[in-house]
Amino acid sequence: MRPEHWIYTIPLRLRSLFRRREADGDLEEELRYHVERKTEENMAKGMTPEEARRAALVEMGGIEKRKEECRETRRVTWIQDLVQDVRYGLRMLRKNPGFTVVAVLTLALGIGATTAIFSVVYGVLLRPLPYHDANRIMAVFEVTSKGRPSRLADPNFDDFRDQSHSFRAIAKYSDYVVSVSGASQPTRTRVAYVSSDFLKVFGVQPILGRDFGASDDKKGAGPTALVSYGYWKQALGSPQDLSQPHLKIDGAAFSVIGVLPPGLHFPADVELWLPADLSGENASRTSHNFKAVGRLRDGVTAAQANQDISTIARRIHDTSSEQGDYLLKDAMVIPLQDSITGKARPALLVLLGAVGFLLLVACANVANLLLAEASARERELAVRSALGAARGRLIRQFLTEAFLLSLAGGGLGVLGAYWGVAGLVAMAPENLPRLDSVSISIPVLAFAFLLATAVAAGLGAFTAERATSGDLRKGLLEGGRGQAGSQGSQRVGRAIVAAQIAITLVLVVGAGLLGRSLMKVLEVNPGFRVDKIVTMDVSLPWVEDPKAKAGQAIFFSNLIDRLKQIPGVRKVGAASTLPMAEGGLPDGMFLLTTQNEIPKSMDGFGALLQQKERIGIADFCVATDGYFQALGIPLIRGRIFDERDGPDSPHVAVISESLARDRWPNQDPIGHTIEFGNMDGDLRLLTIVGIVGDTHEYGLDAPPRPTVYVDLFQRPRPVMTLTMLSDADTRSVTSAARGILHDLDPETPAKFQTFAQVYSASLGLRRFNVILIGFFGIAALLLATAGVFGVMAYSVSRRTREIGVRVALGAGSGDVLRMVLGQGLRTVIIGVAIGIAGSLALTRTVESLLFGVTATDPVTFGGVTLLLVGAALLACYIPARRATKVDPMVALRYE
Amino acid sequence: MSKPTDLVQGTLDLLILKILALEPLNGFAVSQRLKQVSGDILQVSDGSLYPALHKLEQEGWISAEWKTTENNRRAKFYSLTRLGRRHLDKEAENWGRLSTAISRVVKLKEA
Repeated sequence: MRPEHWIYTIPLRLRSLFRRREADGDLEEELRYHVERKTEENMAKGMTPEEARRAALVEMGGIEKRKEECRETRRVTWIQDLVQDVRYGLRMLRKNPGFTVVAVLTLALGIGATTAIFSVVYGVLLRPLPYHDANRIMAVFEVTSKGRPSRLADPNFDDFRDQSHSFRAIAKYSDYVVSVSGASQPTRTRVAYVSSDFLKVFGVQPILGRDFGASDDKKGAGPTALVSYGYWKQALGSPQDLSQPHLKIDGAAFSVIGVLPPGLHFPADVELWLPADLSGENASRTSHNFKAVGRLRDGVTAAQANQDISTIARRIHDTSSEQGDYLLKDAMVIPLQDSITGKARPALLVLLGAVGFLLLVACANVANLLLAEASARERELAVRSALGAARGRLIRQFLTEAFLLSLAGGGLGVLGAYWGVAGLVAMAPENLPRLDSVSISIPVLAFAFLLATAVAAGLGAFTAERATSGDLRKGLLEGGRGQAGSQGSQRVGRAIVAAQIAITLVLVVGAGLLGRSLMKVLEVNPGFRVDKIVTMDVSLPWVEDPKAKAGQAIFFSNLIDRLKQIPGVRKVGAASTLPMAEGGLPDGMFLLTTQNEIPKSMDGFGALLQQKERIGIADFCVATDGYFQALGIPLIRGRIFDERDGPDSPHVAVISESLARDRWPNQDPIGHTIEFGNMDGDLRLLTIVGIVGDTHEYGLDAPPRPTVYVDLFQRPRPVMTLTMLSDADTRSVTSAARGILHDLDPETPAKFQTFAQVYSASLGLRRFNVILIGFFGIAALLLATAGVFGVMAYSVSRRTREIGVRVALGAGSGDVLRMVLGQGLRTVIIGVAIGIAGSLALTRTVESLLFGVTATDPVTFGGVTLLLVGAALLACYIPARRATKVDPMVALRYE
Repeated sequence: MSKPTDLVQGTLDLLILKILALEPLNGFAVSQRLKQVSGDILQVSDGSLYPALHKLEQEGWISAEWKTTENNRRAKFYSLTRLGRRHLDKEAENWGRLSTAISRVVKLKEA
């Protein structure tokens, strides 16, 4: 029998809800037709037309009133039915409190976890950036000869800006942390250097003051700055008059010309925006110093902009005089949101998939519970059907119960998700982009509601289908705890459990692979010591004057000497950037050359750069000898910097082991000279005096990079990170160091961390994934085990009579055990087999997140399989034992 | 003569369903046919007829279609659905049992 009843009435009910006017018109027409016919009848009886009409109307009793009554019947019926279904459903759920509680909690877990993860995915990946028409904002990249995106060089940016027709506004930007004073106290603040159209790209206007004008962007202009709303409020105290605050940034005085509205958070964490080209443009097309964003012109698509930019880039490539590997080969644009969130996408999608699996396992458990509860109600269903309930009505009943459970579980889950999201945000790696937009917002709530509805529909339909299929009258038969009917539902129950086991296996294998990857990553020797090191970031102003630079070198020298005297501090060093810190070291090309080979002109350099055997590529790090000692980077050969090396002695360099091996394969690089002037402008040759061990600068899962270290006192640099190896506790060292720095320079603040913090932050995303997926895997394992247990126990209870008969006929407890376990085992094996097949297919998708293990790692697969089979066997064992205890007499008497 | 509005609602439903079982009709025709077939005894008031018809449609026991009559006027014609047929059979059976029982009590010999 098709459930035509309630399906048929839906269009009617929707009609009376939504197409009231049309329904009304029909109603009106129907009643009027009746009145007309009545009038004709009356006239046939001899009344005059007016009398006939009046009599007819009187008998109808007022058209409006009748219309209202008809409408009422529709409404009342619909609501009556719904209320009845809900009351009945609530009563059923109250009668089985155990079932209800377990089902609601299970659904709460599944829906809540999924909602929490979705809120992260939505906040990071899906939520549009908070700017006007944000999907029209593009990030612009150069493409290197190796096909990778890179930052832009100034002349290339200018060409893009002047020659492209695709952008309404295009701007370049770069950001750094610098020391800012002149506000309530000196701070280390992130500032962005931007070109004049920057605000136009984002469609933002200052709420106070003005934007940059064309005059602010040129060399020699009076330095101006835009401040963020937060900075204006907190650091400046919300002054309405902007001529007062004067900020000293990097040693130069800036006047504040405008305050930006609270919405602009680009680049991330930036509080001050300064004009980009105050010190003039860098004319080289191979110095990639800036990133760029642009807003598409109306009507231009991203693909068209890509074409446009690419053409310009290729023209530069073909005609520029600065040929070589560092010249761009192409250029591209991608939506800004993608460029910000792209790196996090694979990991987050994997998380979403994993939690989806957990939800499936949870739903499977609840489905089994519902099936069991439904078959306990077989008799009730049969009676209702005999009394005339349409099958559709019964199905609606199951749907209502499923909805009640899902809404309750969903509501509880969302409440849990509030708490869960707070935990996720706290635990998430700091470098996860857009973490601040993760919250339980309206779209997330809508998602949770839809999810609960989908779960309800699925569970309700499934249960209803199973429960009302077949002949319901069988339930009325004597001894109607039907053995026969339950065969089918037992098989379904076992199929569900097999599916659960398969899904759980995939999930736990995923967790295992990621977990092993993390362990392998941790096994990598970083090349340096991690614990007991306090780091101190100090940013002095960038200066051009050589005397001032020398003064800065002396400043650091004094600072280091005084830091060495802090009690407990054993070694003190400094480096331009620490390993694993954000940003990494700059890299460039160096020349192998001797004193008499130094070219006299730029063309000479160009010629030398063409000779492959003359060049090398390495990261450039400014350091002191104490740095190697503090971090425990071993000296392999030669020496590190010492007192011999001063500003006036020959400049020296120390190189990393892999660079020595790769660039000087059959020679000893010690004694050779190189020129690395394009990094800091100093063209003096560097003599290699030592080789040190490799360090993993970009994380343990990336190979060590070739590095050239130069001496801070020969190549002064204002922005350095000091490292202090100490046995004393961090807080005392930190406060002592802060005091020393304040003595030496009150205007320069410092940022303190422990190196262990920096190091563990670099593992953040990996660890985040492992923890979460591990949690899902364990939850799924527990749910699946409970599911196996439930189905087995149920099956045994259904077969009690059969078992009793067998025992009466002579079966031993071993036989019974074997029979029950055998059936359970069969289900488990099927589930495991499907799970393994599924895992082999699916783990390919997480390959990019793995390290040191293959996607088909046999150790993981084997271990997880054993774990799952073991857990399932345990779950089967208890009901099986109970089966052996069945007293045949009791079973046979059992009704 | 008992006024049709005194009848239990279910009985009115039964009557309408049976009339429509004979052939599809519009509301006016239903009340006419009922009067005719019952010899003018059962007269449904216009006021209770249409709400009843709409309720029966809501329950899915009858379905409606707008058709043109012989006089070229538009009217809403109702017909019995399969579900309605089942409900009708059940209700008719119930009614039969009820009326038999009532007759039996009423026919009891008084002392």
